[in-house]
Amino acid sequence: MSAQTDERIDGYARGLFELAKAEGTLDEVEDELFRFARSYESNDDLRDALSDDQIPPSKRQAIVEDLLGGSATPTTVQLISMVVGSGRGRDLPAIVDRMVQRAASAKDLEVAEVRSAVELTADQQDRLKAALANATGKNVALKVIVDPSVLGGLVATVGDTVIDDTVRTRLDQLKSRL
Amino acid sequence: MSALFLAVEDPSQTHHWLFPEGYELLFGSLATAIVLGLLIWKAGPTLKKGFTGRTERVQKELDDAAETLAAARVEADRIREVRGDIDSERRQLLAEADERAAALINEGRARLAAEIAEMETKADADIAAVNSRASDEMRSEIGHLAAMTADQVVEQTLDDETRQRLVEDFISRVGASQPAEASS
Repeated sequence: MSAQTDERIDGYARGLFELAKAEGTLDEVEDELFRFARSYESNDDLRDALSDDQIPPSKRQAIVEDLLGGSATPTTVQLISMVVGSGRGRDLPAIVDRMVQRAASAKDLEVAEVRSAVELTADQQDRLKAALANATGKNVALKVIVDPSVLGGLVATVGDTVIDDTVRTRLDQLKSRL
Repeated sequence: MSALFLAVEDPSQTHHWLFPEGYELLFGSLATAIVLGLLIWKAGPTLKKGFTGRTERVQKELDDAAETLAAARVEADRIREVRGDIDSERRQLLAEADERAAALINEGRARLAAEIAEMETKADADIAAVNSRASDEMRSEIGHLAAMTADQVVEQTLDDETRQRLVEDFISRVGASQPAEASS
């Protein structure tokens, strides 16, 4: 990633952060943006549609509004539409990740990205947050991604620390040994 | 003159039918002596010269023959000597040829033995490699099948309860660990 691109991503992330903060929905918008970014990464069709320069910006924005219209806050929809409409759809995950890091830093937290095969209950998330804080020695902002490919268990990434106890990883290790 | 006397005399009148008369014998002897003297005087040197020349020529021929004989003997000796050299050279060449042939045979045998040994070693290595490859392929195939089976079995047997238990195990394990133990 070039310095210019990095600077641009950082600029967009800062813009998203300030707008969400100004709207007073930072936590909710941050969470929705994070989930959308993960969906964007894992869905080839969605990624192709939103990053295709041949599709007019208004069409791409319409796709975003169709997808999120009823399930996300208007601020989230507007922010994603803005990024996609300006032709930066390809950088959306990086922008969102930077924005999430910025939001966590503002609250003196470290982002803890957790992948799970199943949805975690609020109680599980609270206990997991406490467990990760205990294990890493940092206050964490938990971002849970439901990822069926892990099959079972969890993998948590906090900064450079990765705690992996998924069935997928165990199966991969088993395959490697076989 | 004798013929004249004979012609004019009657043979039947001679005193003897075989011997001439005395004067005939005298004159005949004188004439013979004169003729012989003339012959000795005139033809003698020529004859002597001729005989001497012939003798010299014969002697020369004899000398030449002797010289030729000596040369022939020398040549014969030389030829014998050369033949002896040739025989020696031939024996030497034959000995060298035998030696070279023996060396070639030994070298060929050694090379053949080395090639056979190398081929045997290569064959052994090939057999071992084939065995190893077949074994590896079989292990790989078994591993692949086992992994596929494991994937399917795990996916089929992982129900929500098991997944929740895994989540709880993770939370318990991570919560119990210290910062230094966290990374995996």
